[in-house]
Amino acid sequence: MANKVSVWTDNRFWQRSAAWVTGFAAVLLIWLTFDTSAQISMGTDADLQNGVTKRVPGPTVINYKITYEMSAKRGHEVPIIGGNDGSGMSLFQEKEKFFGRDDYSEEEAGALLHLGKLGSQTKNCMNCHTLLGNGAYYAPDLTKSWLDPAWQDGGTMQAMTGKSTKEEAMAEFLQHPSTYPTHARMMPDLGITAEEAKGLVAFLKHMSSIDTNGFPRNFGKIQGAVNGK
Amino acid sequence: MFEPMTDVIPSFFAWINQGPLTLTLFLHSIIILPMFWIYRQEKTRLENESK
Amino acid sequence: MASNHLTGIGSESKQLATWYFTFAAILFGAQLLFGLVAAIQYVMPGFLFEILDFSVARMIHINALVVWMVFAMFGAVYWLLPDETGIETIGIKVGKLLYWVFVAAIVVVVLVYIFVQVGPADETSIWFIHEGREYIEAPRWADFGIVVVALGFVANLFMTGMKGKRSGIVTVLMADMIAFAGLYLTGMFFTDNITVDQYWWWWVIHLWVEATWEVYVGALAAYGLITMIGAHRKVVEMWLWIEVAMLFGSGILGMGHHYFWIGTPEYWWEIGALFSALEPLPLVAMFIHVLYDWGKTQGAQDATGQKLSVINNKPAFTWFVLNAFGNFLGAGIWGFFHTLPQVNLYTHGTQFTSAHGHLAFFGAYATILIGMMYIAVQGVNGIKVMKSTRSSVWATWMIAGGVMGMTVALTIAGYVQVLVSRAQMGATWAGYFDGQSGLWFAQAMDWRLIMGVVTFTGFLFLAKDLLSIGKSPIHER
Repeated sequence: MANKVSVWTDNRFWQRSAAWVTGFAAVLLIWLTFDTSAQISMGTDADLQNGVTKRVPGPTVINYKITYEMSAKRGHEVPIIGGNDGSGMSLFQEKEKFFGRDDYSEEEAGALLHLGKLGSQTKNCMNCHTLLGNGAYYAPDLTKSWLDPAWQDGGTMQAMTGKSTKEEAMAEFLQHPSTYPTHARMMPDLGITAEEAKGLVAFLKHMSSIDTNGFPRNFGKIQGAVNGK
Repeated sequence: MFEPMTDVIPSFFAWINQGPLTLTLFLHSIIILPMFWIYRQEKTRLENESK
Repeated sequence: MASNHLTGIGSESKQLATWYFTFAAILFGAQLLFGLVAAIQYVMPGFLFEILDFSVARMIHINALVVWMVFAMFGAVYWLLPDETGIETIGIKVGKLLYWVFVAAIVVVVLVYIFVQVGPADETSIWFIHEGREYIEAPRWADFGIVVVALGFVANLFMTGMKGKRSGIVTVLMADMIAFAGLYLTGMFFTDNITVDQYWWWWVIHLWVEATWEVYVGALAAYGLITMIGAHRKVVEMWLWIEVAMLFGSGILGMGHHYFWIGTPEYWWEIGALFSALEPLPLVAMFIHVLYDWGKTQGAQDATGQKLSVINNKPAFTWFVLNAFGNFLGAGIWGFFHTLPQVNLYTHGTQFTSAHGHLAFFGAYATILIGMMYIAVQGVNGIKVMKSTRSSVWATWMIAGGVMGMTVALTIAGYVQVLVSRAQMGATWAGYFDGQSGLWFAQAMDWRLIMGVVTFTGFLFLAKDLLSIGKSPIHER
């Protein structure tokens, strides 16, 4: 008859358990990463042409009209590209001019997005703004900024910058931010050139088409209806 | 009992994501359960050592 | 064992540790200073506008934070290695050389941050100015430098661990530090796809601060309990293995709470919510562990009838206890506040995160690393029982009180932002500024600045104390 032993106070038991739990959790994470990576890879122009919904659409999404609407199936808002089929799915039909064109090729749109993404990093956007909700909290979130009512027709920013489209208004603001203050807290001049500004706006438009599972909630739906103070 | 998959792209994880808990219970179970086996092994070892 | 750490003089590994601690303390000061600049800018937006903008001040604030902690972490390992393994650290000469490489690289990076600030939108800026990715902004050239230095450090640790006595603490550190160094590689690439970018970015940030760093703290706490109060090694190491299982078991998949809204699939809601909800558990365990061991050893001492404290380093042990509590409160409670997706939908990207960040980094890491600095001061000066000076006490309470005050202020600011900017106004540009100009928000930012000044004053006491406490006559030698 063996003596009574205490496994719960045995270092080897806990050491082996720690090794197992760590190793297996890591394996699960890697498995999940493969699954997620396939889902978040960037789509192509062909996907958009064929009506394939991607979580991260291809760069030529800048040729299309983008909105952010409630999907009954998903239970939250989703980006709608090129019109809504009535059930919360994108139609990929309705185009929208971006700096006067809606026929950017995959290469042209890709180059703009590349420039914009580089600009978003080299200009350090993330240390004042949040992108997809991550970054600093000194300035507004940029996730859906392309859809912000302030930039739309009749919004304050087009009037202030003297431009007639939102992409031009955004580009003008980005090049001379402290000329167009909206608050005592201003955006500094970061030496953004006209071409870089165009890339950055393409980057912002593309980001607004990413399916963020309904973040941020109710974006742009409420305008001045509530006294926030 | 079973909810339809709502995510954009169907996948194994999306399907077992049936509202709160299902996916997590599944993952936690496969992490925790093998510890019983480790426990049994270590118990046998300790018993042998203390004979 | 309990007196082994007193051999501070003569060990090159321990000498290198003091170098690491010294530079860490300097960077800690820089972190607080640039934090103050950023805090002032919230209250007075014109302060240093277009000279040293918020983005630059904040970048240095968080980079100095990460780097001083990495420095102190490396230093702490070099400090405890000879004690744990019983031999001098192998390859210490290379370790010392790499220290200077590391310091030089950091100085160059910071000077470029301050004087160049931003560059044109091209790869050259990414390589030589900064990468513009929160926490890991270091330019690409510095990334490679960091990898080389980290590999050198890991090599020191592994060679010493394999040749000398390999305790449970050293085993955990070896496994943990290789993961810590390796994970940095996942943050060293550029992609046009911001979802993919942030997916891997979190591999570095989350798997550092919510997994490998926490395990590191567990190992450090174990070492501290053995050296400072003579806790029983077998018990301490058993707790350590339990903590490793719980920390990695919850922390690795707890990563899901960063994948709710960045374009990743919906199943992360569930994985992130439930695994990260368990993340506070090991932190509770660590807290109980420290207090339990303290009570147990002190109780055994009291039973002998002699009124004598078992603590041989008062200031260091104070910081270790603050660590146990601060880790649980800052990382555990403040983290749990906003970890469920239903809550996080509104709190994500608000001052709530900032409140959590301040208390968690302080509670989980700053505290224990400051404690290690005191252990080094004790060792270098050959002190048997180190007591607290007036400055130690002032430093402790001003820093801890200041950070707690900032956290409360930021939490209130976060509430305003969540309710006004997010829930009521739907997160637009106008909604954002509506929240920012609310009275509660504005006053919270005033209080944050005041508490920031308190923290910085506490740091001055700390710096003075670390430099002078070793020579104080109050200790038992």
